Amino acid sequence: MDVEQARQDLCRRTLSDIQRPLDRLIYLASMRDYNTGVYHHEGLASRFTEEVACEALADCHREAFGELVICPLHELVSQLDAYRSSTHTSPREFLTAWGRLEPYRVAVPVQADPLSAEFLFSNFKIALAVLESQLDSRPAGLAA
Amino acid sequence: MIQLLFFVLIGVALLASLLLIGRRGSVRAEGDSGALLEARRALDSLQGGLLPEELVQRIFARDDLDYLTSSSAPKAVRDLFFTERKRIALSWISQVRCQISSLKRFHVGAARSYAQLGLGTEFKLACHFAALLVACRALRLAVYVGGPYAAPRMVGVTAAAAASICTISEQSLAFLNPVQVKPFANSSLPS
Repeated sequence: MDVEQARQDLCRRTLSDIQRPLDRLIYLASMRDYNTGVYHHEGLASRFTEEVACEALADCHREAFGELVICPLHELVSQLDAYRSSTHTSPREFLTAWGRLEPYRVAVPVQADPLSAEFLFSNFKIALAVLESQLDSRPAGLAA
Repeated sequence: MIQLLFFVLIGVALLASLLLIGRRGSVRAEGDSGALLEARRALDSLQGGLLPEELVQRIFARDDLDYLTSSSAPKAVRDLFFTERKRIALSWISQVRCQISSLKRFHVGAARSYAQLGLGTEFKLACHFAALLVACRALRLAVYVGGPYAAPRMVGVTAAAAASICTISEQSLAFLNPVQVKPFANSSLPS
């Protein structure tokens, strides 16, 4: 029950401002300690407990992942482009970094089904290729 | 001499039967928690990861290809898409097959010790397993040769048959589900 309350609290106060599942996935993954896999959120932990906050964050992370896995390719392309714009990075730089580093690989929940995760990685790869081709087809001045 | 040979042959046949029965007995080790865990894991993987309708539809959905075609994506991008989707589709088929084989092993070896399935259900299950494993092989061949959109109807039939096996297997593994214990009411405690 506490976890559900914490989840609702997180959705109301924080996640309601993050509309796109991709942004939510990245935000929630950034709340996780890479060494322990434990999620941290100061505000939520102070209102509930560390354990409850961690569970609530993990739940929301799984939910965002689930939404993104079944998202059609055209939506993923537009979400990725919108996310790129929000980072104020140049398109070329962003596509090169994402193509080489594949940061989406560390953004999935630990308990994600392997095939679903592999499917999402594959879609990211294709979405990046689509964005790159769109960038190549733009006039030189706009592509920068 | 012929009589001696006859009895030796009967002896060898009996010995072979004993060995066969002995081996089958070790497979059906009652109380083997490994078989139960493997079956539970296979069931969870199928129901939670591989068979949800939305995921299956998305993997084999043609609208992603239509999007690439309509947005005039270059051939290289379309080729990449086709290769990737084919890889995922083949991976889905082989994982479904692998988990179904795992459930089949459980039913052949250990289920009878735990689950009270009727003869009719067991027969139905055996037919389902056989049909599904053949369907997986056929689907794999179709996707390998023709790509991810080669046999959409077969995908639906395979997923539905796998889901049906999961439902029956769930009955066999139902005793592993945690029992909801009602908390003791304070009034029932001695004062």
